[in-house]
Amino acid sequence: MSEIFERKVGIVACSCEELAEGTVARLAALKVLNELRPRETVTICLPLFLAGGAGDRAFARVHPTITVDGCALRCAARGTEMYSSKPAASIVVNELVAECGLDRPEGRRRLNAAGKIAVDSTAGRLAAMVDQVLGKVTGTVLAAEETSAAPVGEEREVACSCGSGMAVTKLVIDGQTVEWVALPLIFRHFRERELGQDEAAALELFETVKIYNAVPPESEKSYRQTIMLEYANFCQKENQL
Amino acid sequence: MNTDKTRVVVVPCSGIGKPFGTVSREAAYDLCDELRPESTRLVALAKLVLGDPEARELLARYPAVTIDGCKQMCASKMVTQSGGTVAQEVSVLDVFRRHKDLKPEGIAELNEAGMKLARVLAGEVAERLDSGEQPGKGANHV
Repeated sequence: MSEIFERKVGIVACSCEELAEGTVARLAALKVLNELRPRETVTICLPLFLAGGAGDRAFARVHPTITVDGCALRCAARGTEMYSSKPAASIVVNELVAECGLDRPEGRRRLNAAGKIAVDSTAGRLAAMVDQVLGKVTGTVLAAEETSAAPVGEEREVACSCGSGMAVTKLVIDGQTVEWVALPLIFRHFRERELGQDEAAALELFETVKIYNAVPPESEKSYRQTIMLEYANFCQKENQL
Repeated sequence: MNTDKTRVVVVPCSGIGKPFGTVSREAAYDLCDELRPESTRLVALAKLVLGDPEARELLARYPAVTIDGCKQMCASKMVTQSGGTVAQEVSVLDVFRRHKDLKPEGIAELNEAGMKLARVLAGEVAERLDSGEQPGKGANHV
């Protein structure tokens, strides 16, 4: 993973409204996003992968994701893999409940006591997975008050990626519209390094862009010319600010 | 397609990033669990994302009420993409614009105003179902 991107983990919960385990998945995800790991996590809306969320698909392509599913259908895990990329880790609530010997959660709208215990267990496992994915201390879940940005009892609006995920730029190249992920981030990173726009810098810039975007070999030359032109425009705009 | 008009499928948005998503879910529960349990069937959006055969079969058989929490309108789009017919396309934001006093707050747990907003929304959908109004996609933001 490039240092261009701040290391965050995308949490994708199935959020199934039909089952109590789906409610457990949703509330456990929120607990991690709001209380346990607010700085390290963002939520990604599963339906947005299909409903036009190019930014969400792009985010999941360049950041690790952890999925939380209620049941063996594994809608979040399978959906994420199908439309973006394979999750770094995944949890299935009813499997975790069985593994921990917990009572089965009930009440899809209002969880019973067993459901609330399952939320805490799932959130604890999820937070540990976030740490593992980010390369922090393995298996240690820090206390909420040590990492929380929000005071206990105060709910913040989680960093939802709805419509605000990774930037996607559309460029017309050889008559075709091509979507590019994260160009402003990459451009800004290169501009700050003051690498200039000579051949070596152009090569390095384009190689970085290619890490996050597919470039057909036969189109490499025209794609590179367009990206360099776009980078020049970007620098010109930044210089005017 | 949609041969059986005695029931509707209710698909709320599954957003967990903002209180409006929670309102959509609460309204769906109000409608399906309390107001019209005999004539509604809740279907999870996640199943439509995955193309679950059972969920698609329900959409093929019954018209759908979609309740969305943001302008992305995921529920409505997914029902259409899954081959279903949107009978009522409801936007929580539209309902909130008419009930500015009911500002929803809280995601894991809605405040009282948010719960009331959900009940108002569910009540309006139930009334439309009773009247047999099925205005179609985009024609009637409740």
